[in-house]
Amino acid sequence: MLRVRHYSISKILTGMNMLVSGAALLLACGAFFAYDLITFRQAMVRHLSTQAQIIGSDSVSALLFNDPHSAENTLSALKAAPNIVSAGIYTPEGQPFAAYWRDGGGQFLTLPPIPSGQTEAHWFKDRQIVLVLSIVFQGKPTGTVYMQSDLQEMYIRLKRYAGIAAIVLSASLLAALLVSAMFQRALAEPIVHLAETARIVSRDKKYSARATPTGNCDELATLIEAFNQMLSQIQERDAALQKAHDELEHRVQERTTQLGAANKELEAFSYSVAHDLRAPLRQIDGFSQILADQCGPQLDLTAQRYLKLVRDGARNMGQLVDDLLNMARIGRQELVRKPTDLNLLLQSALRDLQPEWQGRQVDWRIGNLHTVECDPGLMKLVFVNLLSNAVKYTRRLECAAIEVGQIMLDGAPVVFVRDNGAGFEQQYAHKLFGVFQRLHRTEDFEGTGVGLATVHRIIQKHGGQIWAEAEVNKGATFFFSLAATSHGTSNTNILRQLVSYDPR
Amino acid sequence: MTHDEVEILLVEDNPADVELALIALRAHKLANTIHIARDGAEALDFLFGQGSRSNYGSITPKVVLLDLKLPKVDGLEVLKAIRNDARTELIPVVVLTSSKEQRDLVDSYKLGVNSYIQKPVDFNQFQETIRQLGLYWLVVNEVPQPAESPPIR
Amino acid sequence: MKRVSRTDPFQSTPPNHVPRRHPRLLPRLAALAIVWALFSVSGLHAQRSKPAEYEVKAAYLYNFGKFVEWPAKIKAASADAFTVCVLGQDPFGVTLDATIAGETIDGKSVVAKRISKPQDALDCRILFISSSEESQLKQILATLDKTNILTVSDMLQFTRRGGMIQFILEENRVRFEVNLTTAQRAGLTLSSQLLKLAISVRRSSPLGD
Repeated sequence: MLRVRHYSISKILTGMNMLVSGAALLLACGAFFAYDLITFRQAMVRHLSTQAQIIGSDSVSALLFNDPHSAENTLSALKAAPNIVSAGIYTPEGQPFAAYWRDGGGQFLTLPPIPSGQTEAHWFKDRQIVLVLSIVFQGKPTGTVYMQSDLQEMYIRLKRYAGIAAIVLSASLLAALLVSAMFQRALAEPIVHLAETARIVSRDKKYSARATPTGNCDELATLIEAFNQMLSQIQERDAALQKAHDELEHRVQERTTQLGAANKELEAFSYSVAHDLRAPLRQIDGFSQILADQCGPQLDLTAQRYLKLVRDGARNMGQLVDDLLNMARIGRQELVRKPTDLNLLLQSALRDLQPEWQGRQVDWRIGNLHTVECDPGLMKLVFVNLLSNAVKYTRRLECAAIEVGQIMLDGAPVVFVRDNGAGFEQQYAHKLFGVFQRLHRTEDFEGTGVGLATVHRIIQKHGGQIWAEAEVNKGATFFFSLAATSHGTSNTNILRQLVSYDPR
Repeated sequence: MTHDEVEILLVEDNPADVELALIALRAHKLANTIHIARDGAEALDFLFGQGSRSNYGSITPKVVLLDLKLPKVDGLEVLKAIRNDARTELIPVVVLTSSKEQRDLVDSYKLGVNSYIQKPVDFNQFQETIRQLGLYWLVVNEVPQPAESPPIR
Repeated sequence: MKRVSRTDPFQSTPPNHVPRRHPRLLPRLAALAIVWALFSVSGLHAQRSKPAEYEVKAAYLYNFGKFVEWPAKIKAASADAFTVCVLGQDPFGVTLDATIAGETIDGKSVVAKRISKPQDALDCRILFISSSEESQLKQILATLDKTNILTVSDMLQFTRRGGMIQFILEENRVRFEVNLTTAQRAGLTLSSQLLKLAISVRRSSPLGD
């Protein structure tokens, strides 16, 4: 089948026209010519027969009176018929009587027999018609006429027909071309134009372009109209989208500024809080101590105890202030991700914690940790906090066992810190990471309840997860994972991501 | 007076803090020659012998214990003034403050502070810190002589 | 008026050849007799392979009937027969009867009749006047005047003298001459098919004798 797919509409139209008209013509011509030729053949035979009959009747007397010369005269009239190759008259006995040859001398041919019951017979052989006619005069066979005609006339006719057909075909193809050209304007042009417009629009993203309407009322016009409408809609949506985007951007700007301002405020606030809170605390502690030193002997045990409580309170608050300040600072801090070998961090944290478990029996089981993209400073803080807790809550044990390692969970690495210390009640596990939330009494284990909150904040900033499992007096295990990709967890980044769609 | 006469200039606005500091210093017998300035302006007047101290002339202590949060003239401004003046630029300055903020640390060191101490809340620790301070800056550390003698009235 | 021998119809003897009496006749006659005998022998052979002169003439005689149109009353009158008569000494003999046997003209069967006087020819269509009647020709023709009989003969100057068709031997072939006027006067129409075969077609009145 023709590779129609690759041709343009105009070519298809033209081709179709030409094919149709050509085919119709050829069929018509073919039919007509075939019919004509068939009837022509019949006419030729009839004509030949007539000629034979005329010759026959004209030659009767020559035959009867044995005058070949007269018969030859009659036959010579056939010169006027250029298609007669030869003709002959035979006696009733089948003997040659007289003959005519168009192209000069020739030989008498054997007379083919006429089938019984007929006076005449003809055959088509060797591109000639051979006709044999029995001359019957007054009921008595008087002789036979033999005629031999070539088909030159037919061939000439054929050639002429072919010529005519060719001319008509060319003329019709030309006409088809013209018609196609005319219809191009009506049909193919708008389609091509539409296709071109669509291509430009999608290539250049120029949604303001429009296809020119044809002014007709046909399906093509409907298509063009719909296409233009679609483009208008796209433009509108684009505009709306752009507007929303701009608005969002504006709002993001606002929020960012607000956040920035809020951050600054917080910074200033926490700074001054820290600074200004510390001084009175120091004074409380200081003067209580001085009081205890100077007036201690004069005071009874209860008073001394009260003074000690005052000092403890001050000291506690000092710690709290430090912790809060830390947490606030961490919360404000931008994450700086670097590929970090957690093993090194761990070692550094362990060194820092050395004084805390000095003089104690601690069984350290340190596994191999992976390298991650994280903020090294903050991650160290995580380790310091978790390990510090582990050390703290195993204080009462003879032999504390603290394990740090890494497991795979759902294809992602998870770090854990396990101790065999006091543990906690699993039912309160959801409170672990709340600020100031403690699951133990202060007299059992001191603490501000801020450490884990800080750790949680840091892990959260990394886009990771932290959770814990424990049993009272059996120990606790803290698990945390860090996200593989860096999701910006600050509000600004999230907002930016949401509005990152660009219609252009 | 020469710096032999005033060993420590304590710049601190909070009286309670001053008292605590003095107690701590006395406990370690370091409070002999100590001058208190209650704000930045006083500190500068004292050091340069100006304003309210114009009668006394410029005094160079052996060490300046400087709080950061001061009324009138801020601690860092005092530090800057000290370092900008030829008479006082060589005096050791130790910032003694409640703050441990990085910003304060960086600013102080940029301005040429010799040491930065955060005052512990715990009094025992505070005392210990003072002791170490005093011991170091007054006994162990060496300071150059002042460039010129102040005029004697 | 030479009577051509039957035995050599197609020899190339010029027509109307009249041998002259010569003084030295006997030796010539003898020679001639020998030659004639020889020729007659060969003539016999010829007779076996070629049709005899009078066979052909017999066939022509009745064939003439196919190319002549008689007036309607004659056609209606003559019963079922087409009569071909021979007046005088019959040169055909059985040949005539053999030739016409079974033939028909215009649907009528052809019969032969020999007559001795022209008055008996009234129901004849074609009358062959034998050369034996040569001297009576004028009277015969006068008798036959006003009749519609086709007169045929092979006597010399037949057509000049008023006969309609005269047999002529030409190059051993039987040809004929036609006097159209006489025929037309007798009410006969001769077909052009026949006329075109005639050596000559006269359109003249008969010569006085």
